[in-house]
Amino acid sequence: MLLEMDAITKSYGSVAANKGVSFKLRKGEVHALVGENGAGKTTLMRILYGMETPDSGMIKLNGRPVSMNSPMDAIRNGIGMVHQHFMLFSSFTVAENIVIGREPEKGVLFDRKAAAAETVKLSEQYGMPVDPWKKVGECPLGVQQRIEILKVLYQGAEVIILDEPTGVLTPLEVKELLLAIRQLADQGKSFILISHKLNEVLEVADVITVLRDGEVTGTVKASESNEEQLSRMMVGRNLVQQARAGIQIGKPVLELAGIGLKGGKAKALLDNITFSVREGEIVGIAGISGNGQSELLQVISGLCAPDSGSVKLQGKEVAGSPVHAIRSAGMAHIPEDRYQWGVSKDATVAENGLMGHTKRHQRLGILERKDIRAMVGEWVSRFGIKTGSLATKAQHLSGGNLQKLIVARELAQETPFLIAAEPTRGVDVGAMEMIHGELLRRRQEGGAILLVSSELSEVLKLSDRILVMLEGKMVGELSAEAATEEKISLLMAGGKAVV
Amino acid sequence: MFSLKNIAQSMLQPLLAIIAGLAVGAIAILIVGGSVGETYMEMWKGAFGSFYFLTNTLARATPIILIGLGVALAFRAGFFNMGSEGQLVLGALAAAVTVIYLPGPGWLRMIAGLLAGITAGGIWSAFAGWLDARFRLNLLIVTLLLNYIATLFTGYMAAYPLKDKTGSAAMAQTVMLDKAAWLPKLFQGMTLHAGFILAVAGTLLLYLFMKHTVKGYEISMLGGNPLFAGYGGVQRGKLMIASMFASGGFAGLAGAVEVLGTQYRFLDGALTSPGYAWSGIMATLLAGSNPLGTALAALLLAALQTGGMGMERNTDVPLEVSSIIQAALILFVSAKLTLSFIKRKKARSKNGSAV
Repeated sequence: MLLEMDAITKSYGSVAANKGVSFKLRKGEVHALVGENGAGKTTLMRILYGMETPDSGMIKLNGRPVSMNSPMDAIRNGIGMVHQHFMLFSSFTVAENIVIGREPEKGVLFDRKAAAAETVKLSEQYGMPVDPWKKVGECPLGVQQRIEILKVLYQGAEVIILDEPTGVLTPLEVKELLLAIRQLADQGKSFILISHKLNEVLEVADVITVLRDGEVTGTVKASESNEEQLSRMMVGRNLVQQARAGIQIGKPVLELAGIGLKGGKAKALLDNITFSVREGEIVGIAGISGNGQSELLQVISGLCAPDSGSVKLQGKEVAGSPVHAIRSAGMAHIPEDRYQWGVSKDATVAENGLMGHTKRHQRLGILERKDIRAMVGEWVSRFGIKTGSLATKAQHLSGGNLQKLIVARELAQETPFLIAAEPTRGVDVGAMEMIHGELLRRRQEGGAILLVSSELSEVLKLSDRILVMLEGKMVGELSAEAATEEKISLLMAGGKAVV
Repeated sequence: MFSLKNIAQSMLQPLLAIIAGLAVGAIAILIVGGSVGETYMEMWKGAFGSFYFLTNTLARATPIILIGLGVALAFRAGFFNMGSEGQLVLGALAAAVTVIYLPGPGWLRMIAGLLAGITAGGIWSAFAGWLDARFRLNLLIVTLLLNYIATLFTGYMAAYPLKDKTGSAAMAQTVMLDKAAWLPKLFQGMTLHAGFILAVAGTLLLYLFMKHTVKGYEISMLGGNPLFAGYGGVQRGKLMIASMFASGGFAGLAGAVEVLGTQYRFLDGALTSPGYAWSGIMATLLAGSNPLGTALAALLLAALQTGGMGMERNTDVPLEVSSIIQAALILFVSAKLTLSFIKRKKARSKNGSAV
């Protein structure tokens, strides 16, 4: 046995993140760790990587007890971690990023040529091609992922922890990554893969351990399992399939005409965008991230004024209006990046829930704190948000629970129009099912929803109409009936053939 | 039961810091050849030793508390207002001029003087905020530089146009204010004046404002994550000008109460040389911008200063040693000597090498 974690227990205040978790990893094995958000996957891996100290329990490497007090210890013991959010310097070259911490030297100088040579050698050895001289910022996300893995290999890792590695990748990049993992495992490297995407886990992993509420609910062989069984182990019940029921489409709620936005560069960020979202309709926008979706949402929500064109909400011209005016004209907004836009990490759950609701819960400018607690408390129980209390700081909530809080807050605005940007990014199947259900219910009630998602399956599942964005332009529109993953992928890639 | 435990825990940290600070001070005292016990005793006496010294300390804390509250408000909104000193002296001068030239009964002129102080400090501070919002000038630098303009301007006014020519002393100061417009003393023969009550009231009001009002909420969110506040519809520009005005208003009020309650005239340098503004900023930083904590920290700083003077009067230890003790204390208080470090060590020894 290469690695054993035995009876690990870790509590944050009154919340137990890990309760007597045991975990074993063999050499050359791909071991997936699945579970809902807040199930304790990340905590367990942070303990292994020396970022957290467990309250009790033991870590053994090759049968010998080891103590991990910092990531340095973990690296020294041959354990490397690739974080969900890449930790790369985007203005430095690929080689510079890979050799960081152990730079080849020529006297007192940094030997860039040797670094590049090392990088090439490494990438050939493991079959992961990269260009050592390219700036990381110019590499696509799939290549950045590869750079992260090469960096860990350069540090001499035998055990590689991958935290939600496919979250930001395109379908093609995912395929390449899974292939690379398999090849490295065949060369004797061992992987711990944290993921909530069961199909990918089943495809690449040898063994799967499921966590629920900080406890192991089972360890199964991937070849003997399936998605239904894993879902059941993760959420403790069967999932219900939701179907979109037909509904009468009403009058337009949001109308965009000829929206243009110039960036600093020569190419326009948004180019003549025209579409509308009507009552009882979910309009999905598909596209590889970075093709103008973020800018489009900022224009609609008032965070950025367009250079040309008109935005009408409920018939009222709102292009260039401030956020508060657009919100009171009838918009709610689930933002694409929850940490950047969606919350204040140092503020409490109750304070984060209050944003946008202050008008309804005040008298003469004094907050009605009891009402506010009741409101947020109701969301917490209805959405099953795992939090110590309403006074817990947002930074102590897991990503999925934070997302549920944001979704609950924005749905509760009860506006005719809702922007749902990446509503389930990094969220587990249970929470995803619930958020999808809520969005469909809002549509059923006659709400107009603009959905932006980099998950094609999500766009296909929820949308009545699908628009495809490429380089700031709308390059296609498909009805839900006509849309298939292949057709959309083709449009996303600019009409060129996709593998 | 829980609260008692919590209070004990939250007290432990500052207590440890004070002990460590005093230990460093003891070394300094030994180096200059003083007696540690005697010196600290004199310091204590100088700050709290009698009713007179206690009220003296509270009087010194008054402007520091007010300035600290203003800085805390701006910090909570995410704005580094370093312009307290300029706002303080402008508030003081405005209060003096108002009381000198405004006709009417004394109480009315006193209130008008206080309001003039708030307005002058507030406008000066909001002006810096406007420069930031309009021309993207760095607020920290602008507020620091505006201090020079304000202190030199008030110095000029006191030395030339408004100079008191009646007295024999050739000081840069205005005429003495009419006694009817003075802030009343709280106790006969003591320095403590009604400004202290304003400072205490301001502390409570700011605390309640931040906790219970919509604007207080928006200010906290703006300071916590400006993008989140903007996304939620908080109007940054307006809120910035308003919170900068209030922030400078507190400093201006501090200047006004010093003029109306202690100096009874505007005297150039009387507010800048004791470093009230910087002590106020320090108090805010020590307390992490919490209004109640800021007031307590201001009191601690004032006590260290009055205590240091007492020490200098009655021992051979120079005043500078008090500054060393003060600096050491601040360093130790601001270092987050949290118990987590100790806890981790304990956990490690309990579980052997496993973790």
